[in-house]
Amino acid sequence: MAESTSPAPFHDVIVVGAGPAALSAAIYTTREDIDTLLFERGAIGGLAAITDKIDNYPGFPDGVAGLQLADDLRAQAERFGAKIELGEVTAIHDEGKYKRLETTSGDMLARAVLIATGSDYKKIGVPGEAEYYGRGVHYCATCDGAFYREKRLVVVGGGNSAVQEALFLTRFATHIDLLVRSTLKASDVLLRELAAHSDKITVHLGTTTDEIVATDGMVTKVIGTHEGQRIEFDTDGVFVFVGLVPNSQFLAGTTIELDEVGFVKTDENLATTMPGVFAAGDIRSGATMQVASAVGEGATAALKIREYLERPATEA
Amino acid sequence: MSKNVTVYTTNNCKFCAMVKQYFDTKGVAYDVVNVEEHPERQKEVLELSGMLSVPVTNVVDENGSSKVIVGYNIAELNAAVAA
Repeated sequence: MAESTSPAPFHDVIVVGAGPAALSAAIYTTREDIDTLLFERGAIGGLAAITDKIDNYPGFPDGVAGLQLADDLRAQAERFGAKIELGEVTAIHDEGKYKRLETTSGDMLARAVLIATGSDYKKIGVPGEAEYYGRGVHYCATCDGAFYREKRLVVVGGGNSAVQEALFLTRFATHIDLLVRSTLKASDVLLRELAAHSDKITVHLGTTTDEIVATDGMVTKVIGTHEGQRIEFDTDGVFVFVGLVPNSQFLAGTTIELDEVGFVKTDENLATTMPGVFAAGDIRSGATMQVASAVGEGATAALKIREYLERPATEA
Repeated sequence: MSKNVTVYTTNNCKFCAMVKQYFDTKGVAYDVVNVEEHPERQKEVLELSGMLSVPVTNVVDENGSSKVIVGYNIAELNAAVAA
């Protein structure tokens, strides 16, 4: 289906990202013989891939490891012919019939583009966080938890991710202080599991994280505040899970409209304000930040892209 | 030019899998040190990178010169392999 007289590599569809939304879309487009290339700068499978266990993805009564789900989605997409390139898209230009993407592998052309770059873990922005990144401050429990065998830890956050990762870290740490700024906002299942691990995890509601302190370059304590009182938590490391920020920096300066936070605005067809460019998954303004939703949006986007590609060139 | 490549990993680290996949794609042989299975070797990660984090990749060329890459960084991996 793909053809072009341009020297730049050409694809019917370029998907920016290779998380659940992107891979789901690729399954649909490639099954219809639409030439599809995915560009991924990080982990294939996105944040889902570095999540220990996903308990609310339909079809897995006992939950599924994020890594396994990511690998299965990827294998399914590749079975139908999706190509995944490791690299980064740095800009998108609207050239009418084609979109030109600046990438770390050079310029590429596509008739349609799906932005599915997802989001990344948010920083708390307190003193010590950036200074001791990787030396006591971490954002990936499944990657770095093993360094804290028989150690004390602080986990910051009160959502599903924070509770899930705190539970994961109990396999290594002797004790975990879970610092929750307001109240816990995790699922009932996770809250029951949390209660079952009360011997290892102490929950501190209404507690802010104000500073991460190190001695000789290694993290030794976290300073927080509860009801106006300063509290110190002795710890060997801090794992932060306080929400998500959109990976949309590369869209700055384009005609693709973002919301006030930086998520991509779309219409009911998941189309952005640049014709031929669609968005799905966590990057989309209004997204529910759920793997199941991302997969559904990826499928919807693929069908809308197919409609777009089937339009006469004068309409596209 | 042949290089000795060592990738430090843990059991569930997706970024570690990505680094290994990168070298597989490039046809570059590498050794794996799983610091979760071998905690006695965690100090090597700290000594090489100054961090308690994986993946860490150590690329040593024929002259014994070492290039350490922290995380899954395509640009740095490309440079280390090409140099």
